[in-house]
This record gives sequence, C-alpha cells and structure tokens, in this order.
Amino acid sequence: MKLTAGLLGCAVLTTALAGCGSPSSGEPGTVVIRVQGMPPATDKPGLEQFKKMVAEFERRNPGIKVQGSTTVFDPLTFSAKLAGGKVEEVIKVPLTEPQGLIARKQVRPLTKELSGWAHYKEFNPQVLRPLSDAAGEVYGVPQAPFAQGLVYNRDLFTKAGLDPDKPPATWDEVRAAAKAISARTGKAGFVHESKNNQGGWQLTMLAYTHGGEIEREEGGRYVAAFNADPVKKALGLLKEMRWTDDSMGDSQLNDQNDVIKRFAAGEIGMYMGTPGTYRLAKMTYGMEDTDAFGVGPLPQAGGNATLTGGDVYLVPKSVTAEKAAAAVKWLLFAYAEPQYDPAVAASRAKELAADPESAVGVPTLPMFDATQQAKIDEAVKPYVNVKLEHFRPWLEGTPSLTLRPEPAVQAQQVYAVLDTVVQAVLTDEDASVDALLAKAETDVNAKLAAARQ
Amino acid sequence: MSAGRAGTPAIPLPAVAASPAVKRGRHTLTALLFLVPALVVFGVFSWWPIVRGLLISFQETNLVDAATWVGLDNFRALFADPLLGTAVANTLLFVGLALLIGFPAPLVLAVVLSTVRRGAGVYRFLVYLPVVVPPVVAILLWKWFYDPGHGLFNGLLALVGLGPYPWLDSPDTAMLSLVLQSTWAGMGGAVLIYLAAIVGVPSELYEAAQMDGASIWTRVWHITLPQLRPVIGLLLLMQLISTMQVFTEPYVFTGGGPENATLTVLLLIFRYAFQDGAYGQAAALSFLLAIVLGLLSAVYLRATRSWSAS
Repeated sequence: MKLTAGLLGCAVLTTALAGCGSPSSGEPGTVVIRVQGMPPATDKPGLEQFKKMVAEFERRNPGIKVQGSTTVFDPLTFSAKLAGGKVEEVIKVPLTEPQGLIARKQVRPLTKELSGWAHYKEFNPQVLRPLSDAAGEVYGVPQAPFAQGLVYNRDLFTKAGLDPDKPPATWDEVRAAAKAISARTGKAGFVHESKNNQGGWQLTMLAYTHGGEIEREEGGRYVAAFNADPVKKALGLLKEMRWTDDSMGDSQLNDQNDVIKRFAAGEIGMYMGTPGTYRLAKMTYGMEDTDAFGVGPLPQAGGNATLTGGDVYLVPKSVTAEKAAAAVKWLLFAYAEPQYDPAVAASRAKELAADPESAVGVPTLPMFDATQQAKIDEAVKPYVNVKLEHFRPWLEGTPSLTLRPEPAVQAQQVYAVLDTVVQAVLTDEDASVDALLAKAETDVNAKLAAARQ
Repeated sequence: MSAGRAGTPAIPLPAVAASPAVKRGRHTLTALLFLVPALVVFGVFSWWPIVRGLLISFQETNLVDAATWVGLDNFRALFADPLLGTAVANTLLFVGLALLIGFPAPLVLAVVLSTVRRGAGVYRFLVYLPVVVPPVVAILLWKWFYDPGHGLFNGLLALVGLGPYPWLDSPDTAMLSLVLQSTWAGMGGAVLIYLAAIVGVPSELYEAAQMDGASIWTRVWHITLPQLRPVIGLLLLMQLISTMQVFTEPYVFTGGGPENATLTVLLLIFRYAFQDGAYGQAAALSFLLAIVLGLLSAVYLRATRSWSAS
C-alpha cells in the first residue's frame, strides 16, 4: 500500500514536471514571435492600440504570429531567462543597455534584415549610433529617441521670480536660478542623480556640456579621459551649488525614479532629464499640475553637446534567423513606420488621444530627417494633448547641440565608479575633486584594461 | 504467505519476506520512493544551481554561446578589484553593528515582555508587526523617516534641539542607519522565540530565588539567561549567517553609497552579474561567500550537537 502510494506520488510529480513549460507554438509553418512593449492592462488606450497593431500586422504578414509581452527588461531576470532560453524574441531596453548587451554578444546584429526596408538608409544616423558597434553593425530599432535637456518646474520658476519661458541656457544661469528657487520657495533648486549608476550617467552629460569626455581611444584602446579640466569644473559647480549655495535640497542619494517622483510632487526646481520624463511624471507618479512641466535644452559651459537617450528594441542572439527576420518586420511596422508615414502617425495619435490620461505629442528626436519629422508633426498636431509650447525651448535649442552617445566601452562599470565621485561631492563638504577623479581614473583604467583581456 | 503441503499440518514457517532485515529493506525502499519527489525537486532546484554556479565560476560565459573554461581567471579578477576589500569590510561592519545593536535588543525586549501581565498579546502583536511588513515597503517607509529635510527622525530630534543628521547621506552614518532599520524589521521573530523559551524555564527556579530574596535583575542574570543559553547561541549563529548575506537594505536604501560605504558582498555579486554581465566573477564571489557561510554553518551544527548533548 505504502509502495503504491509512493509510486503514485512519483507519477504525479513526474507528470507535473513534464507538463511544465511547454511553449505554445502556432500552426505548422507559422513563425511565432514574442515581443516586449505591450502596454499593461492599466494603460487601456495603449493596450487597445497595441492589439489593433498586432491584428493589422498579422493580416499583412500571413505566416507570422505576434504574442505581446507586458514584461519589461529587468536586468535581474534577463540573464536567467536568457540562460533558460525563455527570453522574448524582441526585448525593449533603455538606451543605457545596448552597448553592454552588444559587447557581451547577447544580442543579434540586424543590419542585413533592416536594410531590406526601403527607407532604411534614411534613418537619422545619430539615433542609430548608440545601437551600433564599432564596425557599424546595427542591432536594433529605437522608439521615441530623445536628447537630454533641463526639465524645470514652471510654477517654482514663477514663484522664484524667474521667467518660465526662458529656462537657463548656461550652467552659471542654472546655478543662479537654483539659488533663487531654493531661497524663495524652500524647495530643492537643482537635483543631480547619484546612485544605481545614474550618478555617473548624469556626470557624463554634465561633462559633455563642459566640453569633457569620459573615455578616449588611444591606439585602438579605450582609457579614462575624465580626469581633466571640464569634469573638474562640472564637479566644482555641483560642489558650489551643494555646499556654498545650499540649493540642491537635503536628500542626495537619488536615482531617476526618486527625482521624477519628487519633481511630480512639486519638490524640485530643475533636473537633467528628457521630454519623455513628462510621461513618467504624469502617468506613473501622478503629477497633478502638468502645466508646470517645462523642458529646455541642456545648459552649456563650452561643450555645446548633449547625451542621447530613448528606448530601444533588440533581438537576443539566441533567436533563430527566421524569427529574427519576423521580429525586424514587426519592429519596422510598429515603431519605424509611424515615425515615417504621416497617415500612420495620425491614426495612432488619434487612438491614443481618446484617453485624457494619455500623453500625446511629447516631442522626440527625428527618427529620420527634419523634413520627414515636420510632416509627422503636422499630421499629429490635431491630437496633441500636452502643452507643446512648454516643450518649445527644448525643441528649438536642441538641434544646435551635438548629440553624443554613452561611453563606448564598459559604460555601466564606468558609471558605477563615477557614482562614488558624485556621491562624495554631494555628501562630503571637504571632498577633493582632484583626488576623487585621480582615484576614479585608476579604477576605470583597471576596468577598461580588464575588458580588453 | 507460504502454506504447508497438503495433508501435512501447516507449520507457520518464518517467511523470508517477513524477516526483520527484509522488513527493514522494504521499509527503506518505500521510504526512498516517498523521498524521490523531494530529492528530485531538491536536486533540480537546489543542488544543480549550486553545481552550475561552481562551474560558471571557472568559466567565461554570456549565457548564449558555449562557455569558455578560464580556470582561476575569475578569482584573479575578483582579488584585483579594490571594491572587494571595501565590500568585505562593509559586510563585516554590518555584521558587527547588527551583533552590537540587533542581537541584544530582542532578548531585552523578550525579558521585559515576559514580565508584562496585562495586554501581553497586544505588545507581542506590536513587536511582531514589522516582520509581516514586506521588506521593500518597510525600507521605503524608513527612507522617509531618515529624510534629512522632512524626515520623521530629524523632525523629532529637532524638538529637543538636535540635528539635523544626514543619516543615509553620510558615509559615517549610512551603515548604522541600515542596521537600525533591519533590527526593527527582524526583531519580532527573535522576540517570539525568546518568549517561548522563557515560558519553558521551570517556575520553581524563580520561586526558590524569590524565597531567597533575589531581585528581578538577579533572577534574570542567574536563571533566565543561563536557561536561555542554547537558544541565545542558536539565534546568534543564525543572525551571523543571515547578516553576512545582507542585500535588500543597501540595494533599496542607498544603492551601495554614499562613496561605497554600504556596498556589501551580496550587492557586489549583484553588480557583477546584473550590471556588468560578469557572470563568472559573480559566481566566483558567491562561491567564496558560500565557503565562509558553510564554515559558519559547520560551527552552528557542531554547537547545536554539543548543546543538545548537554
């Protein structure tokens, strides 16, 4: 009896284990691709639109079935899913990730598949650069690419006696504005991110605006290049704002989510961010007074440059050639065509604008050229539900800036080292910028050397 | 069952299957069969990942292509990383502070609570409540407590003319702040264990001491604490093992900052694996940590054996 029970137990377990994880496959001859980027159920208009897109795509491409996935790229689970062969055929990642994924050969080059599209050559090379390797192979398709700017609270500007239509254009002006906001409203005038590698990431953009760089190529090898005047000036500026002006608020260990959450609550005057953070502030952190959102170009101090950002769709290397080709067709249909074809753009904007919670018309960088973008903007115009004039300073100021990508090698590791530098400057009044940068240079060079091996 | 031959009286023969040895064998087989599901699950989900982790620590892999065997390179890279020393020192600091602050606190609280007669259940509930709050929620709550500008702690301290203190923003106080929160969050479980043990102390010991005129403090020192010794030892070792694996607090509170002041070994492993994609290095450091924890566990097992024997 016991024996029977034992055997039964084994049989049940074996059956249960055998039943696990059998992936659904389509009909014979059908290519099934799972794609990230499907909006969650809470975003009703977005989800509706996504479903329509899938139906239309499948109608146009018999033999391909698209399964949407609401999961987002999570560095914690990505590696495990990759190792277990469970990763989707299309993944959506923030622009900080592609270079690392490309360097580790975890994603698939797509140039061959992409070049089959008639307008491939018209892609804005600046938006493709962060998705390309040194040899020029392209690994993905961007969605809503943008350049970093200065996000500011127009209400706080007014209360501090500043002109909300004229955001600071130089870092000296930022310093003066932050001081005024802090003194007259009691809020943080300017906040710089400092943890989870975002301190290094924001220092990179600050360095670019000061004419600095993070890495330099020397004889085919990359070395640290930040231990120089521009970055010293950038850090000196932060130090002055933090300790002399006391205009950066009290809490200094922040990442992007902390900052946008506090900004949405009206606690922050300015931060380095993109127009796209409007969506986060409104839809994720419930910013009530969205009219207070303003964004200008990234202020400068001799560099005349800014950092590009955006979401990117990539195809993992483990995906078969057949599925990769289907994935590229989907990416072009879902994300490239609406940025190229005015009729498609208008119809998508109209669908989204039906919901007052949506954010339609948040400006992006042109995925193609300026003429094409103008046609798209004109087509979308009737459905825009954001105050476009509050984005105008960014739209008008950004084109004159050089768009610069993330550091080419080991960006995340370099950011981790620079986080420490930023944190020291923001939390220790006696921090020595020279000593911090010298040590960081040694640490980064060790990491870059290790990456070469 | 064997039967006697026809016509002959049935003599009950000692059946082979019924011999004690065979019986034992059958029982063992049945027990093993019952164990199989658990062993399979344990093997697949516990042991295989451990073996795989050990293998990866000697490999370079991107988890897509075939892994390359690199020998001890991952360990060399690990020891060349100046952050390893920082992470080890910080972890030991956390363990030390947790011992100093977090270890006596539940014991003291349990002794005090054991003397409370009215509303004991309410106090026990209040003490245990933080344990049921999800860690990330608790940390976010404490983040507000620690906020240098509008936080609860600085607000309260300001009433008595102290502060403001930078709590998480200063390398000098960040680790202490983490320990305070994790002590608050984890204390309830230990208090309950101590309370249960205190209930088990024979009441005649206290009665005898009371007749001899012993004060409350003398009774605690000479009766309660010696009687709780095995439990105290167990909880001490369990705390050592768990605090050496501290991750959630530094990850959510500070991200390892400021200036790596709260970078712990587990957070460093996380960075290797999930930020740098250096899976081999992450596995190597995990392996080293496992050895240390294994040693601690061995001490724990030895100690519990000697305690139970005594």
